[in-house]
Amino acid sequence: MLGTLVVPLGAALLVAFLPARAARAVAGAAAVTTFIAALLMPADAFLSLPWIDGLGITFSLGSAGAASVLVLAAALAMVPAVIWAALQVEERNASFLALLLAMQGFLNGVFLAKDLVLFYVFWDATLIASLLLLGGWGLERRREATAKYLAYALAGSFLMLVAILALRPLSGADSYLIGDLLEATPALPPNTQMWLFAAFAVAFAVKMPMLPLHSWLVDFHDQNHPSGAADVAGTLYKVGAFGFFAWAIPLLPAAAERWSPLLIALSAVTALYAAIIAARQEDLKRLLAYASLSHMGIAGVGVFALELTGSNGAMYLLAAQMLTTGGLFLLAGMLHARSGTYLLAAYGGLARSAPALAAITLFVLFASIGVPGLANFPGEFLSLLGAFQASVTAGVVAVCAVIAAGVYGVNLYQRIYQGRAEFRASDLRAAEVVVLMPILAGILWLGLTPAPQLERIEVQSRVALESSTGETAGNPPAGITATLQEEKR
Amino acid sequence: MFPPALDINWLALTPPLVLLFTAAAGLFFALFQSNGRSTAVLSLVGLVTAAVFTLVLFQDGRAGAGSAAFGLHYLADLPAAAFQLLIILGTVIAVLVSYDYLERTGLDHPEYYPLMLLSATGGMVMSAAGDLITLLLGLEITSLAVYVLSAWRQGARESEEAGMKYFLLGAFASAVLIYGIALTYGATGHFVYAEVVAAVTAPGFQSLLLATLGGLLLVAGLGFKASMVPFHQWAPDVYTGAPTAVTTFMSVVVKTAAFAALLRVASTILPELSPVVLELFVWIVGLTMIVGNLAAYVQRGVKRMLAYSAVAHAGYLGLAVLAVDSGGLQAATWYLLAYTLMTAGAFAVLTLLGDRFDHGDDLERFAGLSRTRPMLAAAMAIFMLSLAGIPPLAGFAGKVMVFGAALQAGYFLLAVIGILTSVVAAAYYFRVIAFMYFREPAYGAPRYRSAFTSTAVVLAAVGTVLLGLFPGLWYGLLESGARVVAGL
Repeated sequence: MLGTLVVPLGAALLVAFLPARAARAVAGAAAVTTFIAALLMPADAFLSLPWIDGLGITFSLGSAGAASVLVLAAALAMVPAVIWAALQVEERNASFLALLLAMQGFLNGVFLAKDLVLFYVFWDATLIASLLLLGGWGLERRREATAKYLAYALAGSFLMLVAILALRPLSGADSYLIGDLLEATPALPPNTQMWLFAAFAVAFAVKMPMLPLHSWLVDFHDQNHPSGAADVAGTLYKVGAFGFFAWAIPLLPAAAERWSPLLIALSAVTALYAAIIAARQEDLKRLLAYASLSHMGIAGVGVFALELTGSNGAMYLLAAQMLTTGGLFLLAGMLHARSGTYLLAAYGGLARSAPALAAITLFVLFASIGVPGLANFPGEFLSLLGAFQASVTAGVVAVCAVIAAGVYGVNLYQRIYQGRAEFRASDLRAAEVVVLMPILAGILWLGLTPAPQLERIEVQSRVALESSTGETAGNPPAGITATLQEEKR
Repeated sequence: MFPPALDINWLALTPPLVLLFTAAAGLFFALFQSNGRSTAVLSLVGLVTAAVFTLVLFQDGRAGAGSAAFGLHYLADLPAAAFQLLIILGTVIAVLVSYDYLERTGLDHPEYYPLMLLSATGGMVMSAAGDLITLLLGLEITSLAVYVLSAWRQGARESEEAGMKYFLLGAFASAVLIYGIALTYGATGHFVYAEVVAAVTAPGFQSLLLATLGGLLLVAGLGFKASMVPFHQWAPDVYTGAPTAVTTFMSVVVKTAAFAALLRVASTILPELSPVVLELFVWIVGLTMIVGNLAAYVQRGVKRMLAYSAVAHAGYLGLAVLAVDSGGLQAATWYLLAYTLMTAGAFAVLTLLGDRFDHGDDLERFAGLSRTRPMLAAAMAIFMLSLAGIPPLAGFAGKVMVFGAALQAGYFLLAVIGILTSVVAAAYYFRVIAFMYFREPAYGAPRYRSAFTSTAVVLAAVGTVLLGLFPGLWYGLLESGARVVAGL
C-alpha cells in the first residue's frame, strides 16, 4: 500500500533532476510500477505511524473500502497520461512528468489517508501539483485560470482546516484517526455539526465541483496544456464526492441528514445544467469540462441520497470517470495534435480518414454517457437508484441529465467524425494505440465485472451510513449485485 | 545591590554572557580591521559556543531542572533555552547572509557583527526575563543595537530614515513600557512576575485599576516590538529602509525576543491583572491578522510585502500567546522556529536579487527566476508555500498547532479569522511563485552568487521541509515546557 505513495513521489523527485530522456523512461516505469503496486495492494491493509504526537496526529493509511478501487483506477488512468505526456510535452518535459507523478502520489494519499489531518495535507498537496501544471504549461489565459482555481480551492480547503482542527476539541476525540473520531463526533450537538459540515461542504463542493462553486473547472481544463495529459490529472482530482463519502457524512451524520436535501438538489441541478451547457459548446475541451461536471453531479446525487446503493454507485462512478473522462481528454489531445485546434467547427468527417480513432472515441464516449456494459453504467445506475429513494424530483432531474449526456455525446461524435465537412488526418499511430489501451481495458473491466469492486466499496459505505442511522443500512451486497445483473440484461 | 543571600547561577547565564564577550572582543578587534571578515568569523564561533551552552540548559530544562540565575529575576528554564536557541539560529542565518552582502553593497565595517551579537544578547535576556526590569534591560539592549544597524547605510536616505524612525518610535514604545512597569509596580509593589501574580491574586487586592492600566501599557509596549496592530506602523518602513541583511535579522531575532517576553507576561501576569487586558489583546490579535494580511496583499515590492507578512505572522503568534495554557507555548516556539527559517530564508533570497545599492525588490525581479536560477527559485517557492501554510511544509504544521491551540482554548472566531486571512496570504505569496514560474525573465539572471548566503538559503529550505515532514523533531522536545511556565 505504501508503494502507491512512495513509488510515484520518489520517482517524481528523481525525475525532476534527470535529463529528459532518462526522465521519460523513469516516469513511464514509475507509472507502471505504481499500477502494479495498486493491483497488489491488499483490500484491508492498514498502517499507522506516529507523526505529531502531542496533537494526536498520526500518519495512518488504510486501503479498506473505496480507497482500494479508486487508487487502482487512478493508477490505471495515470499510465497513459504519463506516457502521452512524455511523448507530447516538449517544454520542460521532465518537470511536467515529475508534477504528474507527484499529483498521483498525493492523490493516492487523499484516498488512503485514515487520519483527518493527513487527509488534509494530501488534499492541499494535490492542489499545488495541479496548480503548477496549469500555471507552468497552460495556454495564454493561464494566469487568470490559475488565480481563479487557487482562490476557490484555497478558500474551501482553509475553511475545512478550521473544521478539522475544531473537531477534536469540540468532540473530545482521542486523535484525528477516523476510528477515534467516529466514536466521538456523531455525538456532537446537531447545530455544531451543521457548521462543521458546512465548512467541509464548501471545500468538497469546490472540488466536485458543484453549483455555484464550479466556475473554475471550465477555465482549468480550457487553459491546460493541449496534450490533455494535465487534464487527466485534473480529472482524477475531483475527489469532492469522496471527501463527503469518506469523511463529512460519517463524521457528522446529523448534519449530513439535514443538509442532504439541499445538496442533492444542487447536485441534480448541476448535472442537468452542465449537460445542457455541454451540448451547446463550440470548443471540444470546454464541452468535455462541462460533461465531467455533469457526471460529478450524478455522483453527487448518489452520495447525498445517504443510502447504500447510491453511495456505492457514486464511488464506482468516480472510479469510472477517471478512465472515461481521462480517456476523452487524451483523445482530445490527440485530435489537437493533428489539427492544432479544439474548435468543433474545424472538424468534420474525420471518420473516413481515421476510422480507428473514430471507433475508439465512440467506444469511450459510449462508456462516458453510461451505456450498459461499459465503465460508467453501474455507477450511474446505482447513483440514480439511490437518488430516487431519497427524492423522486432529484432523481428525475438527474435522469434528464443522463439523457442530455446522450445528446451532447452523439452530437460531439457527429461534428468531429461525420458530416459533410471534410477534415482529413492520419489515423492512430502505434504509440497512440498503446497509450489508449489501458483506458480501454479499464473501461471494459469496470463495465463487465462491477461486483468485486462494489463489494469492496460497500464495506466503507456501511460504516459511513451506519454511523448516520445507527442501524444496519440497505440491502446486503449480494442483493445489490443481483439487481445490477438483472438491469444489465 | 543584590541581597547577599542571592545565589548567582553562572551556568544559567552563560549563553548571553558568551555572546556579550564575543561582541566585546569583536569591537576590540574592529579597531585594527578595515572589513568585517574576522569579526564575522568570530561572531559565528561565539554563536556556536553559546549554542552549546544553551543546549546544555535545554537538556536540563527537559529534565525538569529549570534553573534560575538571580532568584526569579532571570529564569533559565526550558522555554528560555528554546527561545535562546531560536535567537542563535536566526542570528547565524543573518550573519551568513550579511557576510558578502555587506561587501557587495559597500557597507562592510567590522563593527557590524558585534552590534548584531549585542542585539542578540539582549534578545536572550528578554527570553529569560523573570521580572519586568530584566525584561526592560533586555529590550533596550536589543533595540539600541538594531537602531544603529537599520541606519547602517550612511548617506542613503531610506536607511537613515529607517534608523531614525525606528529609534524615535522605539524610544516612545520603551517609555510606554516603562510606564506600564511603573504602574504595575505601583499597584503590586513587585517586579518579579510570580510575585506580581501573587500580589494581584491575594485576597483584598485594592489597586485593580492601576494594575489594569499597567497591563494595558505593558501590552502596548511589547506589542510595538512584536509589530502587532495598531503598534505596527513602523515595521514596513523600517524593514524596507534598512539594509536587507539587517531586515533579515530584525524580522526573526527581534520578533522572537519580543514574543518570548510576551508569552511569559501573558502566561503569568496578564490573565490575573484584569479581563479587560486580555479582551484588548484578543482584539489586537484579530486586527493584526486582518490588517497585516490585507496590507501585504496590496504591496508590489516583495520586501514590503514580507514586512507586512511579518506583521501578519505576529497575529498568528498572538493566537498562540492567547492559548498559552492549552499548548500555546509549544505551538509558539514551534511556530517561531518555522517562521525564523522561512522568513530568514526569503529575505536571504532577496539579498541576492537586489543591485549594488540593494535596490530592486519589486516583483519583476522574480520574473522567470525558475529559468535563470532554478535552485534559488525552488528555495523561494518553498519559503512562500510554507509561509502560506501549504502542507507538508513547516508553515502548515505551525498553523495546525497554533490554530489547534487557539481552538482548544475556545477562541473560535479568532481561529476562523486566522484561517480566512490565510487565504488572502496565500494569494500574495503565490504571486511571487507565479512570477518565478509562469513569466519570462525581465532582468536576466541575478548577478550575485554567494557561498555564504546560499548556505543560509539551503539551511533554511532544508529546515523548512524537514520540519514540515517531521514536526515532532522540535515539538516533542518542548513537551515539559508548558509545565515549567505554569509552575512559575
